[in-house]
Amino acid sequence: MIEGTEVIDFHGHVGRWDRYGMNDDPALLLHAMDAAGIDLSCVFHIFHPDGTTGNDLTARFVAQHPDRFIGFVYVSPLMPARMLPELARAIDELGFPAIKLYPPYTPWPLSEPQWFPIYEFANARGLTVLFHTGPEPQSYPKLVGEIAPRYPHANFVIGHAGNTPVERAQAIAAAQANPNVYLETCSTFRTPGVIEQLVNEAGADRVIFGSDLPLMDPRPQLGKIITADISEDAKRLIIGDNARRLLKL
Amino acid sequence: MTSLNFKPRVPVFDANVRVGHRHDELSACADRATLLAEMDRCGVARAVIYHAQTDEISPIDGNHALETWLAADGRLVPQWSIMPTPASLAQVQALHQQGRVTSVRLHNTWLAGLPFRPWAYAELLTWLSEQQIPLWIPLPDLDADALVSTLQAFPNLVTVCVGAHYTHHLLLRPLLRGVPNAYLELSRYEPIGEIEALRDEFGARRLVYGSWYARYAMGPMLFYLHHTNLSETELALVCAGNLERILGGVTQ
Repeated sequence: MIEGTEVIDFHGHVGRWDRYGMNDDPALLLHAMDAAGIDLSCVFHIFHPDGTTGNDLTARFVAQHPDRFIGFVYVSPLMPARMLPELARAIDELGFPAIKLYPPYTPWPLSEPQWFPIYEFANARGLTVLFHTGPEPQSYPKLVGEIAPRYPHANFVIGHAGNTPVERAQAIAAAQANPNVYLETCSTFRTPGVIEQLVNEAGADRVIFGSDLPLMDPRPQLGKIITADISEDAKRLIIGDNARRLLKL
Repeated sequence: MTSLNFKPRVPVFDANVRVGHRHDELSACADRATLLAEMDRCGVARAVIYHAQTDEISPIDGNHALETWLAADGRLVPQWSIMPTPASLAQVQALHQQGRVTSVRLHNTWLAGLPFRPWAYAELLTWLSEQQIPLWIPLPDLDADALVSTLQAFPNLVTVCVGAHYTHHLLLRPLLRGVPNAYLELSRYEPIGEIEALRDEFGARRLVYGSWYARYAMGPMLFYLHHTNLSETELALVCAGNLERILGGVTQ
């Protein structure tokens, strides 16, 4: 909690990536979250294309501290027959409120038909979809802008807000053109003025704090928001209020 | 307690600020006034600065361009870039004779085929060691084996390794263990809990705050450091004290 605002980290992982120091020991995550005032972190497991394996690991992780973590469901069109059953299972049985997709782990740009069943599911249920985006051709943010108007009852969050300058411009344009597109902030590219640019060009009500924990410590990523030259009202929207709205908390 | 408005509670001396435009990228930090305004906004008292032109183009011309950023107030401490050529060495040695060298920064020669190895760098590294001039070494793109084995051949040389990323995670512990005079600048190093873990393993004296502004924002890593379990003494060392010690207390 920061000055009365519940802080929600919208982008986190379950699993280990040892070569880069990513370790999902809950004590590590909770220490960093507590030190910075982060109340809730949204987490997902993206390393298993069947979806089920990782989603079960996510559920077990969340169950250890259900007041601090929220699980998102992960599926992949690498195993298309499993997508819809797994989405239904994770949403209805595991209680996950949103979907995470990682297009670079597939050959298909996120605007290709292989992904459409997922969007149709999200649209029918009024769910939020968080994408990894960046300079990879599968993940261009402009593609989110192409699909968003076709699924008006779903919300689409552009993870990393595109990450790099050209893709960031695409991300902002997608948010400007579509009321159901949001921009999430985590990135190791902590370029000066990025948070200010997102707020000024897309609106503070469309920007969502994320950290990529535990690949990255959430503290410098939250620090990007707190030390940005934006209003306190904008900071409150970004660090928690917008996420609460999307997750229907 | 976290606030919506953050200011550091200890004096801050930024170890890594890049000023001016690159040839291929405009900077948010185009002039001295802009830099000082951002330092004031973020609560940074002083900064070690080098010129962006030295990154990819010319350490000699970039060092000349740095002069316009300096003033008698001492808030901006010049860091001269250097490479193992007679002209570059002569430029920095002349500055040193004027008492104006407190640190130097390694220019990337391995992109042009000259590796960071003793047979290529011995004259330069020997002179820096003899003169007790600390060397800043950007980690991105540098071969880890060349880095560690070369620094081990110059045990009296003090170095500050800058720009470690999570992709350097496996390198840092062997580096800090194997090169006792190496310090780690923190501008990009974000794996979860690692600042506190490195403090536990190597001590706060080995860690140095730097932002790498204007490549990266100045405030986020300061916010991070202030929300760790570092003691106030450790925080003060990381935010300024270690850098002051490395530079020998000389500011210009």
